[in-house]
Formats: sequence, structure tokens, C-alpha cells
Amino acid sequence: MEYALVLFCGIIAIATAIMVVVSRNTVHSALWMIGNCVIIAALFLLLHFPFIAILQVIVYAGAIMMFILYAIMMLNLRHSDDSADIAGNISMGRYLILALFFVGVVVLGIGFGPMALQGSMTEPAMMKFGEVELLANYIFSEGLIPFELVSVLLTAAIVGAIYLAKKD
Amino acid sequence: MADHQNIYLLLSAILFTIGCGGVLTRKNAIVVFLCIEIMLGAVNLVFITFSRANTSPEGIFMVMCVMAVAAAEAAVGLAIFVLLYRKTGSINIDKFNLLKW
Amino acid sequence: MFDYVWLIPILPLVGVMTNGFFGRRIERSNKKLVHWIGCGTVGLAFLVTCLLFLKMLGLEPDKRLYDFTWFTWMASGDFSVAIGYQIDPLSMFMCMFVTGVGFLIHIYSIGYMWTDEGSYFRFFTYLNLFMFSMINLILADNFVLMFLGWEGVGLCSYLLIAFWFSDKANAVAGKKAFITNRVGDFFFAIGMLLLLVNLGKHGVWSLNFSDVFSHASLLSPGLITAICLLFFLGCTAKSAQIPLYIWLPDAMAGPTPVSALIHAATMVTAGVYFVARCNILFTMSPLAMQVVAVVGALTAFFAATMALTHNDIKKVLAYSTISQLGYMFLGLGVGAYAAGLFHVLTHSFFKALLFMCSGCVIHAMSGEQDMRYMGGLRKKMPITFYTMVIATLAIIGFPGFSGFFSKDEILWKAFSSPSGNSMLWLIGVLAAAMTAFYMFRLIFMTFFNECRASEEVKKHIHEAPKSMTFPLIVLAFLSIVGGLIGIPAALGGSNLVEHFLEPIMGLGAGKIFQDAAGTAVLHEAHAAAAHASYMTEYILMAITSTIVLAGVGLAYMMYMQKRTIPETLAQKFPVLYKLLLNKWYIDELYEWNVIKPLHSFSRFLWQVADVKIIDGFVNGTARFFMRCGGMLRNIQTGYVQRYAVTFVAGTVAVIVYYIFVLYI
Repeated sequence: MEYALVLFCGIIAIATAIMVVVSRNTVHSALWMIGNCVIIAALFLLLHFPFIAILQVIVYAGAIMMFILYAIMMLNLRHSDDSADIAGNISMGRYLILALFFVGVVVLGIGFGPMALQGSMTEPAMMKFGEVELLANYIFSEGLIPFELVSVLLTAAIVGAIYLAKKD
Repeated sequence: MADHQNIYLLLSAILFTIGCGGVLTRKNAIVVFLCIEIMLGAVNLVFITFSRANTSPEGIFMVMCVMAVAAAEAAVGLAIFVLLYRKTGSINIDKFNLLKW
Repeated sequence: MFDYVWLIPILPLVGVMTNGFFGRRIERSNKKLVHWIGCGTVGLAFLVTCLLFLKMLGLEPDKRLYDFTWFTWMASGDFSVAIGYQIDPLSMFMCMFVTGVGFLIHIYSIGYMWTDEGSYFRFFTYLNLFMFSMINLILADNFVLMFLGWEGVGLCSYLLIAFWFSDKANAVAGKKAFITNRVGDFFFAIGMLLLLVNLGKHGVWSLNFSDVFSHASLLSPGLITAICLLFFLGCTAKSAQIPLYIWLPDAMAGPTPVSALIHAATMVTAGVYFVARCNILFTMSPLAMQVVAVVGALTAFFAATMALTHNDIKKVLAYSTISQLGYMFLGLGVGAYAAGLFHVLTHSFFKALLFMCSGCVIHAMSGEQDMRYMGGLRKKMPITFYTMVIATLAIIGFPGFSGFFSKDEILWKAFSSPSGNSMLWLIGVLAAAMTAFYMFRLIFMTFFNECRASEEVKKHIHEAPKSMTFPLIVLAFLSIVGGLIGIPAALGGSNLVEHFLEPIMGLGAGKIFQDAAGTAVLHEAHAAAAHASYMTEYILMAITSTIVLAGVGLAYMMYMQKRTIPETLAQKFPVLYKLLLNKWYIDELYEWNVIKPLHSFSRFLWQVADVKIIDGFVNGTARFFMRCGGMLRNIQTGYVQRYAVTFVAGTVAVIVYYIFVLYI
């Protein structure tokens, strides 16, 4: 049952991702991207990480994608000057490199992944592990400095964004 | 659960490759940007999967950081796009070769 | 007292600094200050020299050697060179007349160069620099410092010959002088290094004169001959001897005071000074001595023949200088160092005087140097005329004048000394006769008969200003009485010069430089010379004087009475006349045998070796990297996506690597 669910979500995620890439309309791309984010969140949920799943929906689908839609709106891009997109002038070399890349990542990932398995895989242990408490403990103990640094990064990004977008 | 692991990894590899292909082929800067988000999502999925498999919180924490970075990137990147569009009337990345000296 | 010797070179250097750095400004505000500085510094140097000279006269002859070391110039291992000055009779003797005559010529230059606008300070700067170098050359206590002076005077010679460098002929003459001197300097330097290396083998890492001379006996005779010949080759360039004399006639392109100071009185005698300084080395090598004597005699003779037909007043004097220098070397070559140096002294008086007189004449003739367009200047320029006649009498060796004593001394030694012979004497006498002929030809053509100048020039003929005539009179006086200090014993004199120089020459040197080599040889020479009777000397003297007077008479006949004779002679012996007029075609010989091959070789080096091979290699390297860069720059398109592609390709490479590492 769960396996089928994972498979289903995966297929939808791939489909939405492809739609993002191939859509002619930028707005459509953005909307497909929201779908993709939500599906990824569902996958997180299936991995028993409810908190991260919620975070994913809020930050990606809620904040970032809204950002992008706003930007599209401001730039007034619909079909834009993107007419020569995808088609034609992309050389075969790029697709070849992409294919090789994919094969390489799969071979490396699938082959290498099981070696990393360590933790206990019982259902209760997993449930407990996914709780916010664990993450919170980590953030405010070992991960404190990176966490604060991330906040500094966000602040800097905001300042930068304001400076750039400001009408001079 | 654990045996689904390979499915997750495969899925993220596929997603990553799709995003990568978008980055390499699309000319619209915003679409390129969206493709980068897809790649980030794929990476997040890998992190989560391994975090689960190893029961270590670092993976989850990493995901949070990636999200923050993505947010920062979105803010700055979109600001740059707006600026570019204002100056040149286009965000077609093939029209800019500013990196060339 | 002798510690103040550093003042002598430093004073002219002060003049160089002041005039060299601020000259343009000084000249603009107060032109007189320029020559006050220029002459004043040299005058003071002369004064210091005089004081030191007097001080030296008061000392015992054996104690007249003083080495003043100022500071170490350079040091390398055991070998070090100091800026040091050696005060001994020889250096004081040279220094006296160099500063003295130099001072007079500086004064003369005031009048001569006064009208030269804008470069007045430059002239005095160069002159002072020359004095500085020359004094260094003379006073140096080691070969290296001497070589510095040697090169310095060469440089000044070049600068002053090409003083009016806007005229290309002058610049070319300067170059010729410089390059010819370089050839000589090259051999000189090789000789010096040979000396250093071979002395070093015996543990004597020094080029100090006293060290070298006292250890000279360590070297093998063949080596000494080689060193002496190399040195002598250097001297032939500096002192205009065969085979490197060719630059001196062209050097007359410079202003006349320069010709007087550098190319007659002082610089060209540097070679004579050097051979005299190294007399211990030369004495040890009879072969080298023989070469010096023969070259000197031949130069004296050939230069005299070249002077016979020339019409340029300064060129005639230039050839006579070469001829007289030949005499000096003849004297040195037969072991009569004192006689050679005595001739240096008297020659510096009368030759400087001759040049300065010719300068006055040229000045009066508005720059005309061709004697065919002169004549009849006797009445218009009496001072110049009388002083020049005195100088001429001195140079031809008219009995009683200074040149008589010195020249006769040399000829006598050439005849009597063990290394001399009657052949050398005969050549010398013939050259003396020719000297008498061409010098009086010069006098007659310039000062007698009718004036052949154009009307325009005639109007401007005038006696030179006082600043120019004053040195003439002083030098004329010296030309007459200068010989008195060296009257030989045969004429009842005591030959003061020889006695003064004795401590540093031959026998006496043995006392000063302990263990000096060649003392035994000198003993023999001395003994042999003493045995010759006065009778022979009188007879030879009489013969010489007669022949000289015959030369004068011939000149009188040809250029005063029957002035058609020269032309008839030229027509009768066209080959000989042309040969003489063209200086035996020596210049052409050099041109074809040395300069042309060198030129084409240089051309080959330039156009093939340098441009094609070396430049080709360098440019080829550059072009190779440019091509590579050109190819690589295609990668840098500036398009982000292409970079991204490259980036992904790189990632693929890394992944492939990992797959290989992990699974295979």
C-alpha cells in the first residue's frame, strides 16, 4: 500500500517537473512548480517527517513560488521573447551530457546508498525520530552556529534584494 | 520502508536530471530559476532519505538550510531579474554575456 | 701632507658636479661663473699638485713613494681593489704637467668657446671630467683604478670630439675614436686579467702596482711578454700608434682646445705613461721592448710622411703628434724611460702651444682650416705668429729649444743603448727631418706670403683675445726653457728629469719595490750606457741638427722661393703623392679588411641570428601561446548556460571517476 503510494507520488513529481521544464508559458511553469513542491512535501510525509513536509509547503509553495509569480507579473512576461527556447539550437552534446549524468548519478546513488544504512528501521523508532523535538534539540545545541549563520544569510539576501530592486 | 529507499533515490536522481536539463536548455531566466528549485527539491529528498536511513538529524537540518538558501536565492535572483529587465527589456539569458571580459 | 692628494682628483670632480648639474642655469644667469668654476677647480688642483711636488722635492729620493688608500672600491674573496693614489716621482711628474697644461688650456678655452651659445657649460663639464679621469689614471695605485681613468679619458675624448655633434662628420669622428679605443681597451683588459689570474696562481691576489711589480719575477718570461704585448696593444690605441692610430687625425673634428689638451698634451701620452709605469714588466721582456721600439720608430716615420702633403692645419699637427708619440715609444722601447717621459713633458708644452696657435688662426680665419686659403697672417697676428714659431722650433728640435734636448736624448739612447741600434736611430732622424720640413711648410703657408683668403674672411682677421694669448705666451716660455731641466750630461747638464724619475725607473725601482725583477738586466744596461763616450753623442747631435736644418731649408725653398716645386713634384711622382695624400690608404685598408667584414658579420647577426632566430624563437613562443589562448578563448563565451554545461560535464567526469574507484 505504502509502496504504491510512494510510486504514485514519484510519478506525479516527475510529471510535474517535466511540465515545469517544457511549458512555453512562464506562468504555467510556475504553477506546475507549485504542484511539484506539494508532491515533494507529500513524499516527505511518507518518510514520516511531518514537520519538514509542512515547512516545504509553506516555504516553497507558499513563499518562494508567490515570489516568483509576483516577479513574472511585474516583468509582464507571458510568452516573452522566449520563442527560440528548447527547440533547435540546443546541441546534442548537452543531451548526451545530461544522459551520462543521469546514469552516473543513478549508478552511484543506488549502488552507494545501501552502504549508508545504519539506524533501526522499526516503525515506532521512525515515528519518534520524525518529531520536531529532535530537530529542535539539534538546532539549539550542535547546529546553533550554522542556524544563526543561515539567519544572517537571509538578512543579507533581503538587504541585497532591496538594494538591487530599488529604483535608482 | 527501508526497501523503498532506492525508489526515493531514483526519484531524486530523475528529478535532479530533469531540473538540470531545464537549466541547460531553457533560455528564460525565470524558468531556469524554477529548474534550479526542482534540483534543490531533489537534493532535499536525498537528504531526507538518508537522514531517515541513518536516523541522524543532520540531514533534516541540512534541508532547513537548503530551504533558507533557496529563499535567499529567490529574493536576490528575482531582484536581479527585475533589474535586468528594467535595463535591457529582456531576461533571455542568451542575450547576456557579461561574464566575457 | 701627502694625505691631501685626494684633493687633486676631487677638485675637478666638483667642477663636473656643479657645471654638470646646474650648468644650464648658471650659464643663463652668469656665463662667467661657468668658466670660473671650470678653470678655478683645475687651477686649485694644479696648486695642490705644486705643493705636493715641492714637498716631494724635499724628501730623500728613496723615500719618495707614498701610497694613499682612500677606501675599498670592491672586494671579492682575497682580491680587493681600493681607491688609492700612489705618489711617486713618476705620478707627480705627470700630474704636474697634466694639471698645469690643463689649466692653461682651460683658460684658453674661455676665449675659444665664449661664443658657443648654450653649450658653454657642457664644454667645461667635459673638460673637468677629463681632468678628473686623467688625474685618476696618473695617480692610481692599482691597475683597475688606472683602467677606470683610462676609460674615463676615452669617454671624454669621445664626448669632446663629437662636441658639435649636430654635424654628422663630428659624431662619426667621435665614434671612430671611441671604437678604436675600445679595441685597444679590450686587449688591455685581457692583459690585466691575465696578470691577475697568473699572479693569483702564486697567491698574490692583487693588482696594486707595488704588489705586482715586486712579485713580477714569479711569472714566466713568456707570460710576461704576452701581458706586455697586450698592454702595449692597449697603449697603441690610446696613444695613436701603428696599428691603431687611425682615430687621431679624425679626432681633430673636436674644438681646438680639446685637440690641444686631449689629443696632443695629455690623454695620448697615457700609453707612454703606462709603459713607463710598467717599466719593470717591460724590462723583463726584451721581445716586448723590441716591439715597442720598432712600432714607435715606424710610427714616427710613417706619421711624418703622412703629414707632408696634408693641407688641413690641424691634421698636419695631428700627424705630427702621432709621429712625436712614436718617438716617445721609441725611447721607452730602448729602455730610456726617462727620455721618453721627458719628451712627453716637452711635447705637451710645444704641441699644446701649436694646437692653441692653430686654434687662434682658425678663429681668425672664421673657421677655415685649409692652409691653402691662409697666408700672410704674420703681420695681423703677431703674438700667435711668434709663439707658433717658437713651438715649431721646439718641435723640430732646434738646438737650444726644449724639443732639442728631449728628442736628442731619445735618438741618442736609440743609438747607444743595448736594445737600440743604428737602424732605429736612422729612422728617427729621417722622421725628424720630415718633421722640420712639414712644420715649416705649415708656418710658411700660414703666416708668410700673400693672404689667399676671400675678402669676406680677410676683414675679420684679428689677434685672439687676451684669455687666449696669455696661455700661448706662458707655453712659449715653457717651450723654450722647458728643456733645461733635462740637459744631458754630454752638454754639461745634469739631466734632472732622469734623476728625479730614477727611484721609480729601472735600477732605482729595485730599491723601492723589494725583490723587483729584472734588476740584473738593468744593471747591465746601465753599465753599457755609461761606457759610451760623449764624442759619439756630439757627432750624432750634429748630424741630427744638420739634417733638421736641411729639412727647414727645403721647406723654405719649396714654399717661399719657388712655390711651383710642390706641384711639379706632385705631377712627377703622382703615385707617391697620392699615396701620401691618402695616408698610405691605411684607412681604406681597415675599411676593407676589418670594418666591412665586421659590418657584414654584424648585419648577419642582426638580420639572421637576431631577427630570425632569436626574435623568431621569442616571438614564436609568444605566438604559440597566443594561438593556444585564441583557441581557449572560444570557450569563454560569457554565456552562463555554456558554463553550466561545462560544469555538468566536469561533474560527470568526477562521477565516472568515483564509479571506477568504488566499483572497479
